[in-house]
Amino acid sequence: MQIQVRSFARIREAIGGDLIVEVPDGAPLARLLAVVGDVSEEAQNALFEENGELKGYVILMRNGKRVRQGDIDALALADGDEIALFPPVAGG
Amino acid sequence: MLTERERERYRRQIPLFGEAGQQRLGKARVAVVGAGGLGCPAALYLAAAGIGEIRLVDPDRVERSNLNRQVLHHEGDVGRPKVASAAEKLLAQNPGLTVSVRHAAIDEKNAEDLIGDADIVVDAVDDFATRYLLNRAALAKGIPLVHGAVSGFDGQVTTVLPGRTACLRCIFPVPPPKESVPVVGATAGVVGLIQANEVIKYVTGTGDPLKGRLLLWDGRSASTVLLSVERQEDCADCGSGAHR
Ligand SMILES: [Zn+2]
Repeated sequence: MQIQVRSFARIREAIGGDLIVEVPDGAPLARLLAVVGDVSEEAQNALFEENGELKGYVILMRNGKRVRQGDIDALALADGDEIALFPPVAGG
Repeated sequence: MLTERERERYRRQIPLFGEAGQQRLGKARVAVVGAGGLGCPAALYLAAAGIGEIRLVDPDRVERSNLNRQVLHHEGDVGRPKVASAAEKLLAQNPGLTVSVRHAAIDEKNAEDLIGDADIVVDAVDDFATRYLLNRAALAKGIPLVHGAVSGFDGQVTTVLPGRTACLRCIFPVPPPKESVPVVGATAGVVGLIQANEVIKYVTGTGDPLKGRLLLWDGRSASTVLLSVERQEDCADCGSGAHR
């Protein structure tokens, strides 16, 4: 099935733009994030810590609704879902 | 009642919210926390709009490297406290304004005192540790908070209405790392002015506040996106996770 991935700010720069990602039916969000991380070393570093954990401050939205990081292994995606990835900025 | 001079000064905006709206601006007290990249444009446009009192809070002095974006500070201000430099320019823009300044850093003890009796707070600081302090203080006092932040060509804005909408901690439960990121001055200008616009709307009761919505600005593509954000039941600052 196909999942659309939108991204913002530094994560967008690292990934290179919006993506359409193919994952197996019913795949969890964690699986999709792993595929996105494999796009490039920059994408991997933007999303994941060195120990492979998703960076704690990355905000995840599924079809416009917030997903908690603790739910990414349990949340099964559906064909056509849109996932948004957003790193908050902090400067002022 | 507006004076004749005030009627003339604000003639081009009074049709938008009436003399009553202009009077509300003139009575409003706004705390602008941070007199840097966001605080400078936000405070300048609030002064020009006829806000009654601006309370500026910032612990820093002007450095030359600030000048690409902190537009109230000029070459000759390097070394001066930012609040003094900013207050001078704001009063030159609008002598009808009252400016009070606090050359101080926000901490756990003074946060509620520093935002004081403001009607609304502009978050124009540059790290999340300080933002969480402001968030908690604004929630405790029931004062709306207009959050802004920038990095590079990117920015974000949201308005928190205490107890009614997602607070900063609901939206950002984990702080992004503090880093000295590059920023183009125009990005801070865009975001700071969206914050000023939020304040003007709130005070005059115009339009829809950015409540429960996070606006993302992408200057590279000149586009904005609105993400809806919800209160989190277990939020450490406004939910069951809060220990007061
Ligand atoms: Zn909250």
